Amino acid sequence: MSKLSLGGKASSSKLSSWVQPSFGSLLGGSGVNSFPLTKGTLAGERKSKVQPSSVDVGGKRPRKRKVESQASQSQFFSRKQGSQEDQDEPWVDVYAPQSQAELAVHKKKVEEVESWLRVHLDLKIANKGGAILLLTGPSGSGKTATVHVLAKDVDFQIQEWSNPTTSEYRMDDSFRQSFDPDSRFNSFHGSSQTGAFQEFLLRANKYNRLQMSGDSQAQSRRIILVEDFPNQFYRQPGSLHDILRRFVKTGKCPVIFIVSDSLSGDTSSRLLFPKEIQQELGIHHISFNPVAPTSMLKVLSRIAAVEASKSAGKISVPDKAALDQLCSGSSGDIRSAINSLQFSSFTDFSLEKGLWASKKGKSAASSFKAPVRAKGRSRSVKSTDVLDDSPAIGGKDASLFLFRALGKILYCKRESYEVSEVPKLPAHLAEHQRDRLLVDPELVIERSHMSGEFFNLYLHQNYLDFYLNVDDVARASEYLSDADFLTAEWTSRSTMLEYGSSVATRGLIHSNSSRAQAACQSSVGFKPLHKPHWLQINRTYRENYLSAQSLFINFCLAPISLVTELVPYLAKLSNPMRNQAQIAFIHDVGHLSLKRFPGRLKLEALGDKDPGGLDFDSENEEGTKTVEPGTSSLSGDTTAEPVLQSSQDPGGDLPASQPQPTTTEALLDDEDLLIEEYDSD
Amino acid sequence: MQAFLKGSTQSVKPQRDKAAAGSGGEKRQKAVPWVEKYRPKCVDEVAFQEEVVAVLKKSLEGADLPNLLFYGPPGTGKTSTILAAARELYGPELYRQRVLELNASDERGIQVVREKVKNFAQLTVAGTRPDGKACPPFKIIILDEADSMTSAAQAALRRTMEKESRTTRFCLICNYVSRIIEPLTSRCSKFRFKPLANDIQQERLIEICEKEIVLYILLQGIEALVKVSEGDLRKAITLLQSAARLSTEKEITESVIIEIAGVVPPKVIENLLQTCYKGTFEKLEVAVKTMIDEGYAGTQILNQLHDIIIEESLSDKQKSVITEKMAVVDKCLVDGADEYLQLLGLSSVIMQQATQNS
Amino acid sequence: MSLWVDKYRPTSLAKLDYHREQANQLRNLVQCGDFPHLLVYGPSGAGKKTRIMCLLRELYGAGVEKLRIEHQSIVAPSKKKIEINTIASNYHLEVNPSDAGNSDRVVIQELIKTVAQSQQIQSSTQREFKVVLLTEVDRLTKDAQHALRRTMEKYMSTCRLILCCNSTSKVISPIRSRCLAVRVPLPSTEEVCSVLTSVCKKEGLLLPVELAKRIAEKCGRNLRKALLMCEACRVQQYPFSAEQDIPETDWEVYLRETANAIVSQQSPQRLLEVRARLYELLTHCIPPEIIMKGLVSELLNNCDGHLKAEVAQMAAYYEHRLQLGNKAIYHLEAFVAKFMAIYKKFMEDGLDNLMF
Repeated sequence: MSKLSLGGKASSSKLSSWVQPSFGSLLGGSGVNSFPLTKGTLAGERKSKVQPSSVDVGGKRPRKRKVESQASQSQFFSRKQGSQEDQDEPWVDVYAPQSQAELAVHKKKVEEVESWLRVHLDLKIANKGGAILLLTGPSGSGKTATVHVLAKDVDFQIQEWSNPTTSEYRMDDSFRQSFDPDSRFNSFHGSSQTGAFQEFLLRANKYNRLQMSGDSQAQSRRIILVEDFPNQFYRQPGSLHDILRRFVKTGKCPVIFIVSDSLSGDTSSRLLFPKEIQQELGIHHISFNPVAPTSMLKVLSRIAAVEASKSAGKISVPDKAALDQLCSGSSGDIRSAINSLQFSSFTDFSLEKGLWASKKGKSAASSFKAPVRAKGRSRSVKSTDVLDDSPAIGGKDASLFLFRALGKILYCKRESYEVSEVPKLPAHLAEHQRDRLLVDPELVIERSHMSGEFFNLYLHQNYLDFYLNVDDVARASEYLSDADFLTAEWTSRSTMLEYGSSVATRGLIHSNSSRAQAACQSSVGFKPLHKPHWLQINRTYRENYLSAQSLFINFCLAPISLVTELVPYLAKLSNPMRNQAQIAFIHDVGHLSLKRFPGRLKLEALGDKDPGGLDFDSENEEGTKTVEPGTSSLSGDTTAEPVLQSSQDPGGDLPASQPQPTTTEALLDDEDLLIEEYDSD
Repeated sequence: MQAFLKGSTQSVKPQRDKAAAGSGGEKRQKAVPWVEKYRPKCVDEVAFQEEVVAVLKKSLEGADLPNLLFYGPPGTGKTSTILAAARELYGPELYRQRVLELNASDERGIQVVREKVKNFAQLTVAGTRPDGKACPPFKIIILDEADSMTSAAQAALRRTMEKESRTTRFCLICNYVSRIIEPLTSRCSKFRFKPLANDIQQERLIEICEKEIVLYILLQGIEALVKVSEGDLRKAITLLQSAARLSTEKEITESVIIEIAGVVPPKVIENLLQTCYKGTFEKLEVAVKTMIDEGYAGTQILNQLHDIIIEESLSDKQKSVITEKMAVVDKCLVDGADEYLQLLGLSSVIMQQATQNS
Repeated sequence: MSLWVDKYRPTSLAKLDYHREQANQLRNLVQCGDFPHLLVYGPSGAGKKTRIMCLLRELYGAGVEKLRIEHQSIVAPSKKKIEINTIASNYHLEVNPSDAGNSDRVVIQELIKTVAQSQQIQSSTQREFKVVLLTEVDRLTKDAQHALRRTMEKYMSTCRLILCCNSTSKVISPIRSRCLAVRVPLPSTEEVCSVLTSVCKKEGLLLPVELAKRIAEKCGRNLRKALLMCEACRVQQYPFSAEQDIPETDWEVYLRETANAIVSQQSPQRLLEVRARLYELLTHCIPPEIIMKGLVSELLNNCDGHLKAEVAQMAAYYEHRLQLGNKAIYHLEAFVAKFMAIYKKFMEDGLDNLMF
């Protein structure tokens, strides 16, 4: 661990970093950029070098890199000559945003990041210790791009951490290697990743000065960017926290962590950066929203236009409708939108080119897909039924579909039959007469990318608002109960899940008699959707149950009598023989505070709560472990805005595709959009 | 309490083979479950199962023994019969060598069948006893509670059974023959054991009572025992012993028997039914609640109620509605549903049906 | 200062307040030396545990009262580590195997094995067997129950089991047939009264007969609850008055209000409120089945004869589903919704009848 050896290593690798990046920088700088950076300093090169990769998905990066660098060698001198070469490169890289104006991210967010950067870069010397910024948001919302663009504007350089893997990649990426102390730990990768990361964070800035011969200006303005986290951290977030604590004390330059929200609900940002840690370390948290359709459309049309002019007919540029569809399909993931755009723009030329392209490896996949896409699109032009066609290549779309999927089930659009073809039910079943359904519930569930069970929870949380009649509700709730009952047996659960969700969705749709006819469907109007509370409630229930048992074990009681008799009565007694934890528990659980009681019945009053309740609610939604379940269930049920707001939060389980952060408007927009789609059916 | 100082450490050990335990004095006798103590010692003693006894007797006289499959409700003497027969066949010394007994208490996966059974079956045996008497040249493998074997294990048994047929006889014992796979049943001669007739049971119980002189039991008590045990002699004997343990000084009355058998006193059931017929729903609630509070088991109430309802003077339609609900309630209880709510649901059905009539 | 429930718990079979006949029988059982496995069953608050502890004391003397809480961790064959709390004396071990969830089988087998195999250290003990007390046997999985049956036979020589449960319905018959079943009914109202009076006397308090009666009626014959109520009364007000309010637990009051909310209005919005209230109850650790039962009994009070039968059916139906299903709220809510529907219909019909 001697500093000397490290320095030696670093400097030797620095050597290679002098040589290698020159390819990359040329590629990145000029192949991509219409106006290469004028600075020409090392810093500038480095900056642009990092750029293309930045927009990639973290996991895929190394492979792409490799291809890219191969490609770059082959086309080193003939870069701009033929457009076919350009096709081999993902447009995502080619058209990576170069300025704030090109960023599809909402201005306010960019400004927020920028101001943070400015503050912390400038104050760095005065304010000893590392500042930490956490960027979260769905993938493809432009987090990394923002940082890179700002790197240019604010003028700083980025040092990026990537998980050390096998040596294979390191050759391509000597830049990283220079900061990658893993080269010394080759023999024990797995366990030392954490250690390597720690060293990276804590030492990167220390030794940097030795490696860099660039001007001091560039050096003082430097940030560390972390997108990959060593796997170990997911298992033991504590170790990350320890490192961060040390970093905050000793670090010199700001760190930016970028965490993508996953859709499946296991929110790594929550795990890695829980609220307490954020507060303790003063982590600034900026959460990105999905890219708004309008700005995405702008970007897409720009790219399309450029490509069209470049390709001179070889590439068929999608028309406006197709672009629209791409936008809506990608649900705010600009990366997938651009990818889809690229794939969809290959005309049949790509087939001829297929042979050629397949040698390149990378583009093979896209050229295979191209004809498929073309077909799909032509069909979709004919019938714009949203459910029938598969909107964008890449399948990203559907996973962000939940908000709409719920809407589809709950609003259950119907279409009245032609007079002639009305199927008549016999008189005693007349109440079950329904107009033709325009949605296919099974497909909706499938495309919500969510287990039926979970989907049912969402439905359950929200269905009541859409019903006017208690009889309908009784029937609907029975269907939900049926659905749960169907999946009760764990041995058959995997098969029954599908049926369960089918029963639930179809049951809900059918039993809503107020929406039985197409004519009377608009009556409900817009209703906000919420996230299910059950999971949290259930977890709290379990936790309390267990802690009751462990806290009061010396009473030797069966758990049920413990929680229903002993604890509630202990709350009424003044018995001194308890420890602190017991007292706290009794206070929390034993009391079902009847003081709050009157307020509880008037739920409507709470419903129109102003944003004052917002923070409170979203805090609860963040899954803070504080046991305040009652209040959360209450406010969650009644306050519409906070819940939806939180759906855009990192942990939001409801990845709504509405663009704007101002909730009500956004929702209405989205709703309009929804209806438009239906109308076009 | 002094009885349990060190001297008699063995006394509580359950011993299968306690033929010798008979003379151990009173203290030791107490320790042995009467079920074991009064197990039939020879085939002739087996009560009430004439066909099997006839077959076994023949083989005792030297005829070959087929593979056997005994089935029937619990406590009808299936295990006792084969054990007694084996003892008679081999005598006490050879018994251990020649008989392998596996019941559900032993691990009995497919592995065991393959190895333990096979190994045992492969041993060859001679046709004479050490004492010179002739004995059959085969071994017996008793698979008790065979219906709890997995079908894979049963399938594995099939082959073994055939291969070792020269030296080994199998005796499968089960409650439900339907749970034994077809290939196995076809390889065995099946014998059904009937539930014991009341008078035979009563005879046996009185016999035991006489031998255990400590007992004070009324005929009424014996009758209660017979009734409660429903043809299951083992249950009857076990209950008798428990009753004797609980009331050492006093006589064993009907109520004691009913109590330890977990049976709901007929009066209570009758009361519930009357409430269903005559009373209001409020009273019904109270009645059901009281039954639960008294600690009676829901399944037991259900079973007894069922027996009575069948006999009641209701129309067939009413009965069928009620019994259908009973089936549902039974299933729910098995699934762990709340007894109070289930019974309330059931009795409200009975009430509806009964009041419809009038 | 401990709770009255614990403070005045009888410690020997001779001192039990009720079911004396049974206590005598149990004493006989201990005295005749041969001690079978026991299955003690009865509703909660009937005094099962008290009787078991008395029995153990009768068996081993005062040594059983020196209890210690042990935290055991057992490694299942699947390498899964199971943590479980046990309460033990030198002579017995108490465990609630259902704490271990699906691994209860392993817990039972391992614990009984350890107890059965551990040598009795003190030679002075009078019994050569130890006792394992398993509580909540009715919540064991079927798998565990079958394993228990095997284990019971295997270690019969060194270990006796006392199984404790609320109802034998959920205990498989092979276990029932291997145990001597001891039913512990709830004390009658009069017995509750007399216990309350005697406890108060020992505390040096004067309990009016009327109040004792009222408590006894309110507690639903559950003695533990009665004593807790009585103690809460004492905290609330002393000297007692015959008419004073008997404190109820918060959740019971809350549940009643919930029932009232259901009866007073039937609409989807109200159902939403009810759901919020159900969630509230759940987070306060009230098990769903208890909520269901409480709701049913409150709702039954609020409706008419014919309706009652229907409600009882529904309750049975949904409670069963609740036991099997994964998410209790679906079934609770379905029950409430159904009740709302039929209640509303009933009220409307009634109104129509009035008008014509």
